[in-house]
Amino acid sequence: MPPLMAIEFLCRVADVINGYLGGLNEDSIKDNFVIVYELLDEMIDNGFPLTTEPNILQEMIAPPNIVSKVLSVVTGNSSNVSDTLPGSTASCVPWRTADPKYANNEVYVDLVEQMDATINRDGVLVKCEINGEVQVNSHITGLPDLTLSFANPSILDDVRFHPCVRFRPWESNQILSFVPPDGQFKLMNYRVRKLKSTPIYVKPQLTSDGGICRLNVMVGMRNDPGKTVDSVNVQFQLPPCILSADLTSTHGTVNILSNKTCTWSIGRIPKDKAPSMSGTLVLETGLERLHVFPTFQVDFRIMGVALSGLQIDKLDLKTVPYRFYKGFRALTRAGEFEVRS
Amino acid sequence: MMIVDMLTLTSWKSEVSDLKLQLRQLAGSRAPGTDDSKRDLFKKVISNMTIGIDVSSLFGEMVMCSATSDIVLKKMCYLYVGNYAKVNPDLALLTINFLQRDCKDQDPMIRGLALRSLCSLRVANLVEYLVGPLGSGLKDNNSYVRTVAVIGVLKLYHISATTCIDADFPETLKHLMLNDQDTQVVANCLSALQEIWTLESTTSEEAARERENLHSKPYVYYFLNRIKEFSEWAQCLVMELVAKYIPSDNSEIFDIMNLLEDRLQHANGAVVLATTKVFLHLTLSMADVHQQVYERIKAPLLTQVSSGSPEQSYAILSHLHLLVMRAPYIFSSDYKHFYCQYNEPSYVKKLKLEMLTAVANESNTYEIVTELCEYAANVDIPIARESIRAVGKIALQQYDVNAIVDRLLQFLEMEKDYVTSEALVLVKDLLRKYPQWSQDCIAVVGNISSNNVQEPKAKAALIWMLGEYSQDMHDAPYVLESLVENWDEEHSAEVRLHLLTAVMKCFFKRPPETQKALGAALAAGLADFHQDVHDRALFYYRLLQYNVSVAESVVNPPKQAVSVFADTQSSEVKDRIFDEFNSLSVVYQKPSYMFTDKEHRGTLEFSDELGNLSINAETGDSVVPAQRVEENDKDLLLSTTEKDDVRDPGSNGSAYNAPSYNGSVPSATSQPLADLAFSSTGATGQAPAPGLAIDDLLGLDFSVGTATTPSPPPLTLNPKAVLDPGTFQQKWRQLPISLSEEYSLSPLGIASLVTPNALLRHMQSHSIQCIASGGQSPNFKFFFFAQKAEEASIYLVECIINTSSAKSQIKIKADDQSSSQAFSTLFQSALSKFGLP
Repeated sequence: MPPLMAIEFLCRVADVINGYLGGLNEDSIKDNFVIVYELLDEMIDNGFPLTTEPNILQEMIAPPNIVSKVLSVVTGNSSNVSDTLPGSTASCVPWRTADPKYANNEVYVDLVEQMDATINRDGVLVKCEINGEVQVNSHITGLPDLTLSFANPSILDDVRFHPCVRFRPWESNQILSFVPPDGQFKLMNYRVRKLKSTPIYVKPQLTSDGGICRLNVMVGMRNDPGKTVDSVNVQFQLPPCILSADLTSTHGTVNILSNKTCTWSIGRIPKDKAPSMSGTLVLETGLERLHVFPTFQVDFRIMGVALSGLQIDKLDLKTVPYRFYKGFRALTRAGEFEVRS
Repeated sequence: MMIVDMLTLTSWKSEVSDLKLQLRQLAGSRAPGTDDSKRDLFKKVISNMTIGIDVSSLFGEMVMCSATSDIVLKKMCYLYVGNYAKVNPDLALLTINFLQRDCKDQDPMIRGLALRSLCSLRVANLVEYLVGPLGSGLKDNNSYVRTVAVIGVLKLYHISATTCIDADFPETLKHLMLNDQDTQVVANCLSALQEIWTLESTTSEEAARERENLHSKPYVYYFLNRIKEFSEWAQCLVMELVAKYIPSDNSEIFDIMNLLEDRLQHANGAVVLATTKVFLHLTLSMADVHQQVYERIKAPLLTQVSSGSPEQSYAILSHLHLLVMRAPYIFSSDYKHFYCQYNEPSYVKKLKLEMLTAVANESNTYEIVTELCEYAANVDIPIARESIRAVGKIALQQYDVNAIVDRLLQFLEMEKDYVTSEALVLVKDLLRKYPQWSQDCIAVVGNISSNNVQEPKAKAALIWMLGEYSQDMHDAPYVLESLVENWDEEHSAEVRLHLLTAVMKCFFKRPPETQKALGAALAAGLADFHQDVHDRALFYYRLLQYNVSVAESVVNPPKQAVSVFADTQSSEVKDRIFDEFNSLSVVYQKPSYMFTDKEHRGTLEFSDELGNLSINAETGDSVVPAQRVEENDKDLLLSTTEKDDVRDPGSNGSAYNAPSYNGSVPSATSQPLADLAFSSTGATGQAPAPGLAIDDLLGLDFSVGTATTPSPPPLTLNPKAVLDPGTFQQKWRQLPISLSEEYSLSPLGIASLVTPNALLRHMQSHSIQCIASGGQSPNFKFFFFAQKAEEASIYLVECIINTSSAKSQIKIKADDQSSSQAFSTLFQSALSKFGLP
């Protein structure tokens, strides 16, 4: 048994159920046993995975959304299963519905990036890497053939594609050529290595002496990305040897939970002054200095910028002669962004 | 609590009977809106069923209500029936009727669902009703029904294999597999047939042949040509098949790799890993292409590690670990990918630490060790320990030891008990390998108070160092003395054993200061309740009584630095795991037979026997009567060679006859073992003094063991042996390694080895043919083969030559394992003549 086949499949089941029920937990499953059964029925038979494409599944089994509930009350027909089998099971593009029709044809492309970074005790950037996704939401009539190209594809270190992407055009010209599934899907994942800097800095300082440790953390903008950095959050675990902590901040709120998790929510970094948090930690009796140092996990979000620098050049539609609306967005979030002290 | 349970139980019961009543009322009703109320009731039944309440008593009512055109109702009904049919076979018969009717419904979805439910009843006496619907299902014009029917055949096979075979379903599936338009149907056929034929092949030759056929060229090419149409899961299935295919020539290999290359970019990790397996296995015999494959798969696999869930990372990391063991250089510049993140679960972190140790080399050691040292201050104590161990392992790999020793010594000063403990153990191992560092280490170790070290392993390490370096540590005798005074408080036998030895060593170096401690230690040891401690104390005592200088040479001989610590896993096991790439074997780090095969316990019994043998040898500290030796011998021979009639009773009185007699049985592979046991018991039998016995035992063991190796029977090779690459590759995978050796090459040979071809011609003149070669100076790799004259028995050789160290590593696999030693000698002599005029 290939181990990844099982794990990938389980992840896919979790994703699909999550998409259907808007959350994956005990209660949501208990309330929707029947739908979960129906989904599992279509996804696996006798231990072999069958249909796992969310688009196709949605055609076979309608999600339990408000619209269908309203509809069922009005029409009296509350079947959540479509009467016909999806046409695509027989078509040559297995991920696409046979012939969807839209009044407004539109495609939205989102670049969503996560920055993973590790900054060591001396403030040196040990590792900085971006894992990004190109998410596409497409609503186009007929069987559209799209091409998407980047202004600077050479910065990408490794890519993974949705099955709809043709490999040859990418290999020869770095152009994404594909017939999109209908609706929301992940077109590609990419990885960009060896970035030189992070948008914000976090500088923790710990000095301990005589059973008391002084803590001071500074947060500020390093390279202004041109957009506001918000939802900034710094979280760390106090070492077990600390009896009590008294921390205050110049901006935002500090929260210490009973399990010694300390969260400093900053929100948006003010332009004029870098926020800081400082205070004292009381060590266990008998302990002179601190030996175990906390790791600070930083969270932030920047709308409108892909920090990897990846830029979309153009998106074209072949085959179908409609005018259509194109929308592009970008977002960068902190992934595993950690600062050691 | 009981009362509450009783209450809820009764409320369930009343709820079930309530449901029963309502269902019964609805069963016959045709009023509008009936379906809606039915649906609510069914939902209640299903959720009760799922949370574990027995609602099987509603079976009859549910079947009565199943007459409906509503597809959701039908689905729920099927689900219910499938769940309870097995426990109510009689009632299940009731459902056959409506399921069979639904199998002929107009809607293909209902046909499919009904067929699936019908096959999922799993009631043995209902199989006769399955054959008809399955047969028409396989011919249905809708692909959805066909996919369901194919899996249905497999389900039928598991309920009643004979019914399935009699209806000739496997043949139908084979036809579908090769002709159906829909790839999902094809994929299901493939997976069903693989399962059926594998199970059948134990009894039917035809099934075995069919299964082998799946790996043949027409099938593999058929699947490969359609690979892009298959769903991602089916692609994994096809890749498994391709990995077992043996291409006939190199151009075929390149064609397949070109075709599959874009699969490495697939979003599904399972596909990527399956493709990796195909690439690695196809190129096994082409050393240089194999290297390129490592380069090619690197980036996709690393992406998989950093994206995805921790479970996915773990599975991929275990595969990377396997790869890095085979080719350590591949990730040496990507070591940062294996840095641990704070949030990762510790199982991922642990594997990453192993990766970091494995990829460390001259160029990156400094960075890796710096990173590892940061983890030592981690809140997660098990990981902190692991990372200190990792630092030690890197140090033992001999890169940049200088800096690492400093780091380890810093750990010792960190004043955290677990850090100190781990570091002590490491410093001990380090000193065994690099005695030259003793001055620096001892200075620091001397400052550690033994009171602060609690863990047995660490304490034992500290005591070992106190004994070994007592001449350099000023207060060693006094520290040991205070430890001996607290003998009774020391719970670990390991520590007490080390203490005994350390006091002895210290005594030899600084007798006047230690004499008191030694006396106390021996007295305490003799009174110890632990058998080993007691025995060792007694042994030391008698040794000292016999002769102090002999005692010193036994207890404290000059030591050679340990060059290589014993590896835990043999390279053969690693090869086996590599053959099972992309399976759980890699995740468990064991070949599959170790966790699936119950019979493999055989090796355990064998090792028990070895234990007995060594005990026999040790008990001989007094003169053993000849009769007893004879009996022992008989037992040993019986258990190891299983030949009792060849034994000549007259020749057993003296130990010296034994070797020649043993030499007359050359065929058994366990021969060396028998020799060893035989000679050691024989030796103790005639040795008068215990001290001498030990020396003799060791000496005799060795000389007799080598002297009695049976002289190789003359082996001649077929000068015109032929073997095609495919068969070679297959054999190489199937056969275990029968010999693995290292030879030195003559300087002349090295000088002549500028290109691989020179050696090829030379070996050919000795009837050893080359099938593949590659590499550049200083590393060359060859695959040779040879055939026994007048026999079909083949020898396969992997030969890696490093010209800078003038060493060659040889692995030999053979059809006839018993003659591989003879072949090895032949091979070595051929190799040694290389370059001579």
